[in-house]
Amino acid sequence: MIAHKFLRPDGTSVFTGFRWELPNGTPGEWVEASAEPCRSGIHACRISDLPLWIGPTLYEIELDGDLVQQRNKLVASRGRLLRRVEAWDDGLRDAYTRMCADRAHELTHSVEPRLEAWDAVVEPSIREGPALLGFVAARIAEEISGREAYHTERARQAAWLVERLGLEA
Amino acid sequence: MTESDDHITCREVVELVTDYFEGKLPADEAELFEQHLNFCEGCAWYVEQMRATVTAVGRISEEDIPPKARERLLTAFRDWKR
Repeated sequence: MIAHKFLRPDGTSVFTGFRWELPNGTPGEWVEASAEPCRSGIHACRISDLPLWIGPTLYEIELDGDLVQQRNKLVASRGRLLRRVEAWDDGLRDAYTRMCADRAHELTHSVEPRLEAWDAVVEPSIREGPALLGFVAARIAEEISGREAYHTERARQAAWLVERLGLEA
Repeated sequence: MTESDDHITCREVVELVTDYFEGKLPADEAELFEQHLNFCEGCAWYVEQMRATVTAVGRISEEDIPPKARERLLTAFRDWKR
C-alpha cells in the first residue's frame, strides 16, 4: 500500500526521532516493527490524514505486512520510503499557511456577530506554521457549525494538498 | 477522557503527559495527544522538557543523593505523611 509520511528536515521521525534511510533515486531500506498504534510500527498518512500531521518534509512510503487502519493514520509492520514529494517545499508550506489563514478569516466573518476573538488569533498564528493554521481554521468551522464542520474543513485542506502536490486522491 | 473526540486542549496535554510517557493512553487519545503536539509549539516544548526531566531523574540513584539532602528529604516526606 502506498501512503505518505512527514519527517523532520534531517529525515528523522517527528515523534520518535527514528532516522529513516532516505530514498536517493531508489527506495530506502525496509524498516520493520510490530504494528502497535502510537507505540510501535511504521506510522503513515492516508490522503485524508495529511492536514492532521503536517510537517517539514513529505515522503511517499510503501507499507507492507500487518496494517492497522486508525481513524487518522495507518500503522504497518513494514515500510520503506519511496521518494520525497518535492512539491512540499517552503513556498507551498507558506501558501498552505496563507490559504488556511484566509479561510479562517472568511469563516470568522461569515457569522453575525463576527468571531472577533478567533479572528484575532489568526495572523499571530502564521509564524507558528501550517499545522497550527490548519487546526485554527478547522476549529473556527467547528465553533460555527459543530463537529461535522471540523471534519469538512479538514477534508477541504486535504483536497487543497492533493491538488497542489499532484497526489492521487 | 478528553473533552472532544477530535482534538485536545493544552490543559489536557498537561494532564495526560505522564500516561503518554508510560504508554497508558488508549490509542485514540495518544493519537489526539500527538496531533496536538504537531501544531502546538508550546506543548511540544513542554513535553520535551518533561521527557528530559524524566530521563535525568531516572538516572539518579539513592547513592547519588548527598546524606544531608537525603535526610532532609526523608524528614520532609515524614512530615508530609502526617
